[in-house]
Amino acid sequence: MKRRVVITACSAITPIGYDKDTIIENLRLGRSGVKPLRDDGLLTRHIHSRVFGTVDYPIEYGFKRHFTKTMGPVAYYACQVAKDVLKRSGLSQDFITSGRLGVAFGSTHGSPTVQREIYKTFFNDIDSKFSSIGAVDYLRSMVHTTAVNITRMFGITGRVIASSTACTTSSQSIGYGYEMVKYGMQDAMICGGADEYDTTTVAVFDNLLACSVNYNTTPHCTPRPFDTNRDGLVVGEGGGAVLLEEYDSAKKRGAVILGEIIGFACNNNGGDLILPNLDGITATLRLALKDAKITPSDVDFISAHATATKMGDVIEAQAIAAVYGGKPLVTGLKSYMGHTMGTCGVIELILTTYMMERGFIAPTLNLENVDERCSMLRHTRELTDTYTKIGAIQNFAFGGVNTCLLVKNAGEVH
Amino acid sequence: MTKVDIQDKILAILTEDFEFEKPGLDDNLRDDHGFDSIDAIELLGKIELTILGFSLTREEKEKAMGIRTINDIVAYIEDIKHSRSK
Repeated sequence: MKRRVVITACSAITPIGYDKDTIIENLRLGRSGVKPLRDDGLLTRHIHSRVFGTVDYPIEYGFKRHFTKTMGPVAYYACQVAKDVLKRSGLSQDFITSGRLGVAFGSTHGSPTVQREIYKTFFNDIDSKFSSIGAVDYLRSMVHTTAVNITRMFGITGRVIASSTACTTSSQSIGYGYEMVKYGMQDAMICGGADEYDTTTVAVFDNLLACSVNYNTTPHCTPRPFDTNRDGLVVGEGGGAVLLEEYDSAKKRGAVILGEIIGFACNNNGGDLILPNLDGITATLRLALKDAKITPSDVDFISAHATATKMGDVIEAQAIAAVYGGKPLVTGLKSYMGHTMGTCGVIELILTTYMMERGFIAPTLNLENVDERCSMLRHTRELTDTYTKIGAIQNFAFGGVNTCLLVKNAGEVH
Repeated sequence: MTKVDIQDKILAILTEDFEFEKPGLDDNLRDDHGFDSIDAIELLGKIELTILGFSLTREEKEKAMGIRTINDIVAYIEDIKHSRSK
């Protein structure tokens, strides 16, 4: 059995906004969500990179303590976007709890904020707090905390997939959710990812010399995907969710269709866990096209992973050129909000569907002088009003994991 | 700390930290207020810190698993205090 899979609701909490209109406005006006790194009283003073893709606006969660007791900050993001998609979807309560709806959701670490409090107790030898380390802290910080807090809050009884593959966490969640519905294992899946404000991740990339350090006093000028003067990635935070449904049942119940997932691929480089790999990435892009049964010329837009690291952008540009040539527009959406880690895939998919719906493609911010090794691509240098039929969302992660999602414009879903 | 003091303290904890609305001393904690096993562990931690002032043994904690009402909690604390004072 192979079924078509459509997106019928979405929500994203991003450094450039939460509601759809704000995000679109910031994309159209080229506003960055990268801000100064906040002092965490622990690691900040040791970190060279002083920028972060920050969610600095208030969010009214309204969750009851009955639910929040097992939630760290990352689960707040996850449950909020899941709440939004369920509300917007119009799915009945009977269906939500029927076992035919599953969850594919993940984060990079669980909750680093909660883990940090546990470490403080250990390292400071605080006996009086020892008894507070228990089931609740584990439930808040375990790696599948986002997925199961969503199932708990909404009474979802279907399958649970909790990807935790760093930067491909949410793109993999969407891909596996798509396959669950496509092959009839579930009729719908809530898919996505979240990651909270975390300086530990910044410290890791900082130590790997992969973080941006030259724009600490002008945060909006970094990251700079494909630019000659790029100097590394900027870590960010956020959450995002999409509801994937089987096409016929979505159409039958009158759901609003936001796009169709027509292809997905995921592979591994089979070797180095850090360095980007041209063969592995190129293979992923081709496998996704094969899964969708389309040719490279069918794709109009590529949301590149484009973290703005020295080598990553060049390898990705070579892979895009090898598969697509110079036809599709290419944008690095991380230029607006930094690298939201486990969330980036779902946010970039949602932003792509927003742009498809509104008929424009946002340019890569801070792309002033294209690195000549990346110049063979058709970079989006300015706001471009255009109709996009099919977009590709590319993500690559530590561990050598590569993903590619192919999404069709809702206007093309018949 | 008298029985009434313990009772008041427990009611305050349940209202402020566990968001109980109008708790009654004989209410069923689970059925009437959604109190679950995670809450039970958290409440024991608060009892240790704010009422008893010492850590409960594993055996003492296991005895708490039979608690169903607020009156049961108060009786449990009194029993622990009494046992430890011997």
